[in-house]
Amino acid sequence: MTTRRDFLRGSSLLGFGATVPGFLGRTALAAPNADKPGAKDTVLVVVQLTGGNDGLNTVVPFTSPDYYKLRPTIAIAKDQVKKLTDDIGFHPAMGELAKLYTDEGAVCVVQGVGYPNPNQSHFRSMDIWHAASTAETLTEGWLGKALKKRPVPGFHLAGGNEVAPLALAGAPVRVPSVTSLDDFKLKTIGATGADTAAQKGVITAVADPKAPDPKAGTPNLLDFVARTQMNTYASSEKLASIGKNYTPKVPYPNSALANKLKLAAQLIDAGIGARLFYVSIDGFDTHAGQGGATGAHANLLTQVSESISAFYRDLAGRGHKDRVCVMTFSEFGRRSYENGSKGTDHGAGAPMLLVGGTVKAGVNGTHPSLTGLKEGNLVHGTDFRQVYAAVLEKWLGVDSKPIVGDGFKPVEVFA
Amino acid sequence: MAVDPKTAWQPYTPRTDAPWDRKAVGHLYRRAGFGATAAELDAGVKDGPAKALDRVLTGASETDDFTRTSDFMASARSMPTGAPQQRLSAWWIDRMLKTRHPLREKMTLFWHNHFATSNAKVLNARFMLGQYRLIQTHALGCFADLLTAMGTDPAMLVWLDTNTSTKAAPNENYAREVMELFSLGVGNYTETDIREAAKAFTGYEIRDGKGALNPRQHDAGEKTVFGKKGAFTGEDVAKLCLDHPACPRFIVRKLYRFLVSDTDTPPAELIDPLAEEYRASGFNTGTLVSTILRSNVFFSPTAYRAKIKSPVEFVVGTVRTLEGGTGALPLADALDSLGQVLFAPPSVKGWDGGPAWLNAQTLLGRNNIALALTSTEDGRFGARCDPAELLAKHGIKGDAETVDFLLGLFLQGDAPPATRNKLLDYLRSTKDVKYPAYWTGDDLAAHRTRAVTHLALTLPEYQLN
Repeated sequence: MTTRRDFLRGSSLLGFGATVPGFLGRTALAAPNADKPGAKDTVLVVVQLTGGNDGLNTVVPFTSPDYYKLRPTIAIAKDQVKKLTDDIGFHPAMGELAKLYTDEGAVCVVQGVGYPNPNQSHFRSMDIWHAASTAETLTEGWLGKALKKRPVPGFHLAGGNEVAPLALAGAPVRVPSVTSLDDFKLKTIGATGADTAAQKGVITAVADPKAPDPKAGTPNLLDFVARTQMNTYASSEKLASIGKNYTPKVPYPNSALANKLKLAAQLIDAGIGARLFYVSIDGFDTHAGQGGATGAHANLLTQVSESISAFYRDLAGRGHKDRVCVMTFSEFGRRSYENGSKGTDHGAGAPMLLVGGTVKAGVNGTHPSLTGLKEGNLVHGTDFRQVYAAVLEKWLGVDSKPIVGDGFKPVEVFA
Repeated sequence: MAVDPKTAWQPYTPRTDAPWDRKAVGHLYRRAGFGATAAELDAGVKDGPAKALDRVLTGASETDDFTRTSDFMASARSMPTGAPQQRLSAWWIDRMLKTRHPLREKMTLFWHNHFATSNAKVLNARFMLGQYRLIQTHALGCFADLLTAMGTDPAMLVWLDTNTSTKAAPNENYAREVMELFSLGVGNYTETDIREAAKAFTGYEIRDGKGALNPRQHDAGEKTVFGKKGAFTGEDVAKLCLDHPACPRFIVRKLYRFLVSDTDTPPAELIDPLAEEYRASGFNTGTLVSTILRSNVFFSPTAYRAKIKSPVEFVVGTVRTLEGGTGALPLADALDSLGQVLFAPPSVKGWDGGPAWLNAQTLLGRNNIALALTSTEDGRFGARCDPAELLAKHGIKGDAETVDFLLGLFLQGDAPPATRNKLLDYLRSTKDVKYPAYWTGDDLAAHRTRAVTHLALTLPEYQLN
């Protein structure tokens, strides 16, 4: 196996000399052997469920008559849930994750996660989750802040239409968004090797963020562009050396999320020091035609369940399972009762899942009450910042207080 | 240099610190359209601001050929309900490439991003075209009419589930977004307003391809929205939103961001006068756009290169500036990798824009599209965007003339001297490169021109609008 040090030595990245973004250089020297949390080369994979995942049909309280009253057409029948405890179970589409839960002890379900006075705008609420704050103006994300303290290389594995998440904003070096390794290359019309080198030389040289012309308009935006360019060219050089051929240890399903996670597994296994991945899956805004045991929501959960499960098993097959923690979240849950379109409107309080070889397997917290609703919405029992605090403290080894604020006791999600 | 709010919206007149020159003309053509050709830059400087602004604001009427071709491509035969999304996107790109009224298409793009509706869910090209036409008709017209009509637009009815919302159990999707995203912004309504307004939007259906109210599914009871009571319909709620004091401010701020700056947050004293004018004019968007484009703010450093080019601006602007005849379908495909597929915004909030346009992948995408457009090696775009031909047409010869022409055309000279030197160095270096023996002198000249044009398009300055 190539070590990171070998990797960087052999990479033309060194041609960037002093201008190489700090994090790319530093990883070669990082010593992943200290015994403190985060000092080991732990990997965090954040899976964003965009649109507001229906928590109530994800982790189903199948013994509650109220649940069946609230959802006459979209409830999951008791005999169909994948039982986790005597009272709750996964949606039937989540059989793979249920297997990881029961057979491998690799799943931790944190129940009823939310925050006080939840905002039901997709965009405002997502920003709150990304920034771990309800401040009026949000410019930095919780992971961006964490990367300031622990500048590990990360990747946002994006779909074509996806922008870099606010969660990663504020990082000392912009986390690159990558859609596919094939397209992540700087091309030129160099007619010969020397011509190609000359053209690439110009492109990388003019992207020098130290030399913006102050007369050329707004320096901030121009500087932003130049920095993005330089970081991009360095990252693309780095990824160019990773072979295109990757044979997973287990088959991945054919889905967008699975493709992203497969790429993450490849980057993890390539030993380039990548330790943070951010992926999302859209479509959870199920106002109409949500379906029950089958249908639109079930299809989304199938994708989540099968993709994460394949990712875990692939990494386990390569000896990385204890290094990796997958964390899912969504901007809000949905209304407890269904609407007239056989769907659900925006709500609150939903579960988060953590998957990995060293998570504390089981169910954390109690299922939110279906009788103590607030305007038809579930009331949260765990603040999402308590989950973040656990991830920051126990997984990344970063003090959580400056990031999520005081008073958020980490939940016990790591063994 | 901050703009004095007192004179900010007064018409710009050239001054020593804000002269009327190629930079000003380039700026106007980028913001009010999709960039300028060399001839447009020259004519703009010669004509002066008044005439140039009139020309941009009024636009020229489309040629018969343009209209005939565009209408044919949009006909039910060419664009059936199930037409693939890329064909819709290509159809609009073709309009942007060829239109003689770029501002109208640009403002249509603004409203498309405002009422961001995606064919990914609507799955009906006819509905999407219908929404395009609705928006295009009102793009420089009356926002009140546009907002009201949007409530029964078939594509929107599908997009935000109004067509399945019933009296018995209303669906809140449209009610929320009409306030949050289409008229007021977060913080100007309550969750109760949304729940009540949702009742007003019940019973709307699509009948014979048109939005219609079905009284049997409509909740005709009394609702309370923004503290006002009545048996409101969807149209009434639109009116309540339009009457809300936050509405004109919300639209003006958004338009400021679109036309003036991605990064500047204008103070209330800059926005409020325009918002008052907008309301007083009955939400006449054309007048508002005219005020902004003619203003001191628009021709100030606050606005100059204070935006990141959107993918559409990058691609369409590059092709127009190169006077190319590139096919629209490959451009539509290319836009996918840059993060902006027309008729398929990522969410109902539209594209975030600004710095969010650029990330590692989309930046490489821009460089590589620029390469495909300027090189002959990428078969997708053919040789119909040929920099060598363009330079010949303008009688440009020699390395220095070539570099200065390109930097003048794309950037109106807004590149540091070091960049100019790097481009010259590149051209010089090609003298030492051993090219294939079978290349003629013309082959080599064309190759150098294409390569240096590509390099110019990858400059950080060129990513700014």
